[in-house]
Amino acid sequence: MTYLKTDRHRLGSSISIISIVIACVVIVIIGVQFIAPQVLPTLFNSMAQPFWRAEFTVNAGALSSFEQLLLNNENLRRQILDANVRLETIKNVEKENEELRSLLNRASTTPKTLAAVLARPPYSAYDVLVIDIGSEYNLSTSSKVYADGGVLIGRVADISKDSSKVILFSSSGQKYEVLIGSSNLPAIATGRGGGQYEIQLPHGSNIIEGDFVTVPSLNNKPLGVVVSVKVDPVKPFETIIFSSPVNIYELRWVLVDTTNKR
Amino acid sequence: MNIIKKSTICRIVIDLVVLFCVIHGWWFIALPISLFALWSYSYYIEIILAGIIYDILFGFIPEVGFLGYIGTVVSVLIFLVVVMAKKVVRR
Repeated sequence: MTYLKTDRHRLGSSISIISIVIACVVIVIIGVQFIAPQVLPTLFNSMAQPFWRAEFTVNAGALSSFEQLLLNNENLRRQILDANVRLETIKNVEKENEELRSLLNRASTTPKTLAAVLARPPYSAYDVLVIDIGSEYNLSTSSKVYADGGVLIGRVADISKDSSKVILFSSSGQKYEVLIGSSNLPAIATGRGGGQYEIQLPHGSNIIEGDFVTVPSLNNKPLGVVVSVKVDPVKPFETIIFSSPVNIYELRWVLVDTTNKR
Repeated sequence: MNIIKKSTICRIVIDLVVLFCVIHGWWFIALPISLFALWSYSYYIEIILAGIIYDILFGFIPEVGFLGYIGTVVSVLIFLVVVMAKKVVRR
């Protein structure tokens, strides 16, 4: 009797070869990460940068028609004129504020560097921003990062030559000391991801929606605004949810503190 | 052009699309395309490379811990599950 020859042996050997290849690739990458953790991110970031810059340019309106660009330009000029008037008022108030602080020897002279956001959540799944400045800008892994209006949103976590990764304070599991409410109650905020934070406080803390959350420093810019207070009578604590006043999904530019102090 | 050649060209095109999506962080597009390719082609090992590249670009941050390697882990798991599922279904 004649039987068809099965390919079971060949199939088994090819599976084992593939498994070995996968294992080797994963082991090599883990090894490289342990020995030189900057090599792979620097290499791949420099390869990805032209694509990120192209996307950034397209999002900025580089492909719009000539008439559209002129119209946008005119609108922006008017907005700048309006903004300049308001800016002058703010500058006067800030100047007065600086003078008062300098009287107390607490003047803020922190230099900040503007950086373009090349990748942001939800595309980067870890609540991480990729910005276009790197080691040549005197960054450190504790450099603070601010959004428009001086709102503190995160800090630099990983630095390559031409780009850096910024871990947002709202990144899941990250914990920070904050002050909450009109009475500046001290609390520990825990990141929930997606620009949201959570605080556990005892009942009767009198926190309401719309209260500001700040970091303990002279900077009076809010870290977030309370959006929800969950009270469960069974539990001894109430859960306060607050979110950043800026939308992290729409960030295009950020300011990085480049004083390089730890 | 024979069928094998066409299939290879198609696979390379899918690889480029997946790579483009991974570079831009569009994992929600790269994932279904990779799943389709994994089901259609034998041993679509590129899915693991895509997971590793995604982690290199956006993850690999020590403070995030295990989460920083989620792309690699998920891609290896998906690869193994689909390869085993294909073996069972096509037995």
